Amino acid sequence: MERISTQNAVEMGPPLPPAPSPTLPRKGGGGDRLLPARFALARGIAFYGCWLLLADPRLPVTTELLADLAVGVPAAVAATWSSLHLLPPTVGRMRYGALARLIWRLLSQSVVSGVDVARRALSPRLSLQPGYLTYPTRLPPGPGRAVFGALTSLMPGTLPVGTDAAGRLIYHCLDVTQPVAESLAIDEMLLLRVLGEDDGHR
Amino acid sequence: MTLALTLFTLIAISLGAIFFLAGTVGLLRFPDTLTRLHALTKADNLGLGLIVLGLLPQVDWPVGGLKLIAVWLVVLLAGATVGQLMAKAARSDAWNGSTDLEPPR
Repeated sequence: MERISTQNAVEMGPPLPPAPSPTLPRKGGGGDRLLPARFALARGIAFYGCWLLLADPRLPVTTELLADLAVGVPAAVAATWSSLHLLPPTVGRMRYGALARLIWRLLSQSVVSGVDVARRALSPRLSLQPGYLTYPTRLPPGPGRAVFGALTSLMPGTLPVGTDAAGRLIYHCLDVTQPVAESLAIDEMLLLRVLGEDDGHR
Repeated sequence: MTLALTLFTLIAISLGAIFFLAGTVGLLRFPDTLTRLHALTKADNLGLGLIVLGLLPQVDWPVGGLKLIAVWLVVLLAGATVGQLMAKAARSDAWNGSTDLEPPR
């Protein structure tokens, strides 16, 4: 968990240190070189797109506009460089049908979650039964587990606080009388399906 | 039609503001750091989501709308990540005193 948290922290951090020019994390031999280049290009374009969206430069074309556009390039390069280091590309197929289901669950559970916490906060006597729960996840340590942590921290009544000695995730729960583990199992199953790692059980 | 959209905006933004208020009340009333983190991350996520939803009909598409959605996603990601980091930092004192780790059911 240590590693994952740090990874997230760095990833989330403010604009990164000066951009080194190379966009490839490491050079493979021969045929390996093309694939990383394509990943780097795709990510770079995506980051530049995000930058354009947030900076929202306006037409008509002037030298100022061109200067504005140029500022985004090192930012996109730096973002690409750090993303390739923190989250090396893997060859695996994401399942978009499962992703849609996961997003739907996230959105609907966000509403449940917000209403739940608002109700507890505003009720005259706080209805809280806080406590801890350990959850033995099937997700291997790494990006998948980090995503699971972020996802479940938005779900009703759960907040991941780390891992125990046995590698189980520790959750802090607002109300331990709720069926928290069942809910986590559903989230986990949906995420495993998105990653294409579901073995069909459960 | 414009009236309907304006009404929609008003309702969504008011609801969003209520959730922000509830999150703040939770921050003040909940007993410890971890429960307060629950209040902030979850209520604010929904509150901001509703405000963004309410503003969507009022901005120019696609850039304005996509930008609002991007802002919401970035806040969501930041909240989910920073919430975990703070929980991890806050855990140590709450952790030792708590009852054992077995799941309640």
